[in-house]
Amino acid sequence: MAICFEGNRFELLAGETVLEGIERNGGSLPAFCRRGVCQACMVKAARGDVPAAAQRGLKDGLRLQSLFLACICQPTGELEVERHGDARPFPTRVERVERLSEQVLRVLLAAPEGFGYRAGQFVQLERSDGLTRAYSIASLPGAAIELHVALLPGGAMSRWLLTATGQPLSVRGPFGESFYLPEEPERSLFLAGAGTGLAPLLGVVRAAIAAGHRAPIHLHHGSRRRDGLYLWSELEALARDAPQLRLSGSVLDEPAVGASHPGDERIAVRRLDDALIDTDVPWTEARVYLCGDHDLVRRLQKKAYLMGVSLARIHSDAFVAPGSRA
Amino acid sequence: MTEKSLYERIGGEAAVDAAVDVFYRRVLGDERIAHHFDDVEMSIQREKQKAFLTFAFGGPSGYAGGKDMRRAHARLKLTERDFDAVMEHLGATLQALAVPAPLIAEAAGVALSVKDDVLNR
Repeated sequence: MAICFEGNRFELLAGETVLEGIERNGGSLPAFCRRGVCQACMVKAARGDVPAAAQRGLKDGLRLQSLFLACICQPTGELEVERHGDARPFPTRVERVERLSEQVLRVLLAAPEGFGYRAGQFVQLERSDGLTRAYSIASLPGAAIELHVALLPGGAMSRWLLTATGQPLSVRGPFGESFYLPEEPERSLFLAGAGTGLAPLLGVVRAAIAAGHRAPIHLHHGSRRRDGLYLWSELEALARDAPQLRLSGSVLDEPAVGASHPGDERIAVRRLDDALIDTDVPWTEARVYLCGDHDLVRRLQKKAYLMGVSLARIHSDAFVAPGSRA
Repeated sequence: MTEKSLYERIGGEAAVDAAVDVFYRRVLGDERIAHHFDDVEMSIQREKQKAFLTFAFGGPSGYAGGKDMRRAHARLKLTERDFDAVMEHLGATLQALAVPAPLIAEAAGVALSVKDDVLNR
């Protein structure tokens, strides 16, 4: 079987895997376990059929993007292989910057021609001097690309974005497998995120509503303080128009404002972890989306799994160090 | 005629798939040992649990033998009590799935055979 990879075309030997063939022909891929477990060698089939066995253990979202594990792939026909996340930059510019709270900006980028994505995925934003940061997409394809940017003290990209309206940028991507799957309109969704972890979840929710999702969509936003729930009134407006959307929030540091703010009765003082226990969801059937810092996502993921959610239906999107998000 | 392996008699890969979530949820919910599983990505960890169960059932686990077991567990510095807790969950998992007692005993025997390697002694 012929393999095309980075401009080379070569035949696989009998019994050889895609990874072995690439290596024999002088190429290299990150690879560790070499038996389909660690997923380090995940690549994308740009053309050709991927055997189901080569997608063992991958989530539906990854399968749909034709991703597969090179170390266990013995193709049955010609295959064009691309590195995962190997994407050219698309030039764009900052269309508008809006301050959603003390800490958070909404940044709208002009949608570049030919740039396809699913709401909830993330992009690498690259400034002309090479400064790069990853942000999740809250908008639906077709509109301007909406990002929620946390204003960090000394944050090179976030501070620059504050006054960057009209400035050129490029986006690379999209990456990630936290997006809505329209094949399952009857499956309950539970989405929980902290801080600007709301952005990809909002993308998923918007896509679900647009697709006419019928089962309940539980969206949970957490923050240390009430003013960190930076999009609350907008979410409430969304929930008014989409009866299947169930909104809840949690804060750590202050009592919920309660009656003084209409709508705040849905905000409780609790750890975000406890929102799972407080939400009535048929967990063994549900699909779960989680986004926030690494430790939080790991805790939520474990909790969801222990409550009965299948790991294959937990989509985790964890922030890691700026620029190196994987 | 060769006798069927324990793995085949227990139900092969389908049985492992049914057992792995029951087993891994028990292990993660056990405060005595859950901390050993904290720093590895869960989907990878679940595959490891699956490899362990496949091994205990005498199936094709990817573990070539004691040496692999030793290498895989050396860094964890496990104690006798850790090992016993895992054995307990193995038994309880198979019981929950209504595996007959003689087969459970056989699986436990396979797991016990690598105890010294797992405990690095």
